[in-house]
Amino acid sequence: MTDLFSRLKFRTKINLGLTLIVAFTSLLIAIFVIRMSSDALIEQSRKRGEVLAGNLALRAENPLLSVDLLNLGSMVNELKKADSEIEYAFIMDEQNRVLANTFSDGFPVQLKEANESVGNKISVVTVDTGKSRLFDFAAPIFLSDKKLGMVRIGLSRSGIHAVVQNLIFAIMVLTGAVLLLAVLISTQFARQLTLRLGSLQKHAEDIVTTHLGPGLRKDENKDENITDKFKRIVSNPPKGDEIQELTETFDAMGMSLACHIEDLQITEADLTRQKELLKTIINVSPDFVSLLGPQLTYLAVNKTYAEHLGRSEEEIIGLTDAEIYPEETAAARMEEARVVLETGRPVNKETREPETDDSPPRWFHTIRVPVHGQSNNIIGVLSTSREITELKSYQAQLIQSQKMESIGKLAGGVAHEINTPLGIILGYAQLLQEDLDPEDQIAKDMSIIEKQTRVCRKIVADLLGFSRQNESEKITMCFNNSILEVVQLVSHTFKLEQVRISTELDDRFPIIHGDPEKLKQVWLNLLSNALEAIDEKGNIHISTQLDTASMTITAIFADTGHGVEAKNINAIFDPFYSTKPVGKGTGLGLSVSFGIIKDHGGTIEAVSPLPRSLRNTLELPAKSGPGTLFKVTLPLDELSEEEQL
Amino acid sequence: MFKLRYTLPAILLLAGAALYFFGSQPEETIVHVDMSIREEVRVPEPRPAITYAYLPQYSHKVSYLRHSKLIDYLSRESGFTIRQVFPDTFEEHRRMVENGEIDISFSNPMTYVEIARSGARAFARIIEPSGSPTFRGQIITRKDNRAITRLKDCIGKTWIAVDPLSAGGYLFPLGLFLKHGIKESEFKEISFAPGPGGKQEKAVLAVYAGKYDFASIREGTLNVVRDKINIDKIRIIAETESFPGWVYAARKGLSEKVVNKIKYSMFSMSMDNPDQASILYQAGMRGIIPAEDSDYDSVRRLTKMLGLDEGGVK
Repeated sequence: MTDLFSRLKFRTKINLGLTLIVAFTSLLIAIFVIRMSSDALIEQSRKRGEVLAGNLALRAENPLLSVDLLNLGSMVNELKKADSEIEYAFIMDEQNRVLANTFSDGFPVQLKEANESVGNKISVVTVDTGKSRLFDFAAPIFLSDKKLGMVRIGLSRSGIHAVVQNLIFAIMVLTGAVLLLAVLISTQFARQLTLRLGSLQKHAEDIVTTHLGPGLRKDENKDENITDKFKRIVSNPPKGDEIQELTETFDAMGMSLACHIEDLQITEADLTRQKELLKTIINVSPDFVSLLGPQLTYLAVNKTYAEHLGRSEEEIIGLTDAEIYPEETAAARMEEARVVLETGRPVNKETREPETDDSPPRWFHTIRVPVHGQSNNIIGVLSTSREITELKSYQAQLIQSQKMESIGKLAGGVAHEINTPLGIILGYAQLLQEDLDPEDQIAKDMSIIEKQTRVCRKIVADLLGFSRQNESEKITMCFNNSILEVVQLVSHTFKLEQVRISTELDDRFPIIHGDPEKLKQVWLNLLSNALEAIDEKGNIHISTQLDTASMTITAIFADTGHGVEAKNINAIFDPFYSTKPVGKGTGLGLSVSFGIIKDHGGTIEAVSPLPRSLRNTLELPAKSGPGTLFKVTLPLDELSEEEQL
Repeated sequence: MFKLRYTLPAILLLAGAALYFFGSQPEETIVHVDMSIREEVRVPEPRPAITYAYLPQYSHKVSYLRHSKLIDYLSRESGFTIRQVFPDTFEEHRRMVENGEIDISFSNPMTYVEIARSGARAFARIIEPSGSPTFRGQIITRKDNRAITRLKDCIGKTWIAVDPLSAGGYLFPLGLFLKHGIKESEFKEISFAPGPGGKQEKAVLAVYAGKYDFASIREGTLNVVRDKINIDKIRIIAETESFPGWVYAARKGLSEKVVNKIKYSMFSMSMDNPDQASILYQAGMRGIIPAEDSDYDSVRRLTKMLGLDEGGVK
């Protein structure tokens, strides 16, 4: 039923509702009016009967007293004639004898006792004759407390009923007419209403089909944009009823939404652009950038960090450190992040990632800062990590250089001071030897003093050389020749030690500006070190390479010796560092070489073990070590560059 | 706004009330009558009784109201059944006395003089409310009628009188005019109050309404109409000489025994007895005293003067 009602059209509903209301109201009013009218009519009829009876009683007084039967007879007959509703009338004396009546063919016996009036009031009863009902009025005639007789009138009710029937018919017809009128009016009203609603629906459809913008009417400017139209409608609202207003409001709402959506789309595009820009900036950053949420889960990471972790950005988001890092590292990282979250103090530190098989140890500079929300509470931790391995390396080198320089100065000062007394000791030792027989034990001892003093002088000279206390004299020289001279010098000795020297020198004969003697000393030092490193037999390979682009010449001394341990690789250039047993070496060779090369504006570095590519080129003996490689790079002489051209 | 669970019961209640109201009928007594059972109506015969008639000076009703208690008293005291009869006119009254249809007649002296010719004999007369056993006629006009101030002013005017046979209401004043040398023909019009009863009142009302210039009435009538009109607006122009008052007469041939019993009952009434006083008050008298035919000789002289003595009833 409810379902059926809800399916009805709105117009039908209004019609139905109004019809029901009018019908119900009309029926109710009709019932009341009919009832009241018929009651009033009946009451009126009763009163009329009472008046007629009372009147007749009054008029009958005198004829009754004079027993004027003719007069009484004419009175009742006239009364009956005068009123069609009067069925009968008769007058009785005090002994209830009928003196006059309107019945032509005998008097109904039972009628006499049908109505007995009490006192001097007019009594009314309804007489049911079996065929019809009528009101019977009994009006007693009293004179001076004496009852003279009684007047009786029978008033037909059919007349009243006819009037009531007519009244009911009239009211029903009127109700029907009103109902019809109401239905017509309500139909018109509903039509108007539904027209407006239909218009509203049309507007809604327009709004939906035109993406929230209301459809344009024929008379409207098509070039006008939504915002202008919205402003125009808001400033000049059209006149109309509530539904019209609702329609316009609906339009305005649609247009307002359209405006907002336009703004939102612009803002969204702007935001997307900014987001892309930010993402690009963050992603191209070589630093590891990440954002941790309050639950210490990753909210965002940049591409670099994701690649570093070996996962995609989507995989990382939502994970915690515990799911990414080994247990120990993860615990440390999470504790750090928690501290930042809880205290708000930023973390700024350097960490070292242990070396792996594939990569050497790496250094990172990590900054963790708290991210504050709108209410100034901490809602996350932003971490940026930058790899500073190279910086660390430079730092180490710088420290090394400064250390060497200090030591060089110290050693130079000491050597300079010792050099003079050593000369005196040597001179006096030589003088004393001249005075003594060579076979004499004292002369032999003096010879030992002289020999050891010379060793000391050598050490002092080396120290002076290391500290560049003794200035070298640089000349234009051939780089390859200085190396070949040294190789020729030592090749015989090295052969005896079963060490073979091979060379692969750049045939362009690079010319440098340097001190040939000191450079020879360097080559000699490197070769003797190589020899020391080779235990039984081995190879030493020397190659030079001219690099015209950087205007440098590089000499590489590779051996097949036992190599240098990785942890010591940076210490080998330190003064007095030696792997040799005590007494065998001074530990100054490489330091002096470092000083000479530095004095020439070049660099020297050691690599151990040998790079794989180089190992293949060398003919390695069956039992050979990992080998060491010394790489010396010197700047080319400018003149020689011109010659090259 | 209107929830169905509230609206629906309200509608049903209203509809129920309407139907109940529609179905309710005013209280009435219903009597079943079979109209087919009928009988012929016969004119009722009056029971034998001594008939008593009051000259129809007033309406039958007033006549009845005035005398019903007196008749009851007389019936009770005398032991006879006395029934009041109501002749419509003075003439009918006189005729009924002559025909023996009225046993005891209560009439004015003029009528008595008439009926005495047929053998009726006076046996009692009343004491008027004024306390006198005599009464007068009065000539009245409206107080604001400046044209009539004296008796002679009535010449050429319209006159409403009670009845051609009325003593105080016509004949006494007519005698007064004649005495003053004014003849009947000198009036513009002489009318008599219409209808069978209430003629005294009608005469007063006719003058009061301005229909006639002056009226002649019996003394005491103004008191009767006091509650109908403002009698202050009525002026009495002249009054006649006093004549013996109303008279009880027995028809010719009525048993002396009956007359005596009734006379005794009448004369024994006293104003000192409250019950009897109320009867007398209602009858418009203060007592009943014995009377003889000769008491009315003065009236006979008047009738002679008026030329009525030879049966000239108009």
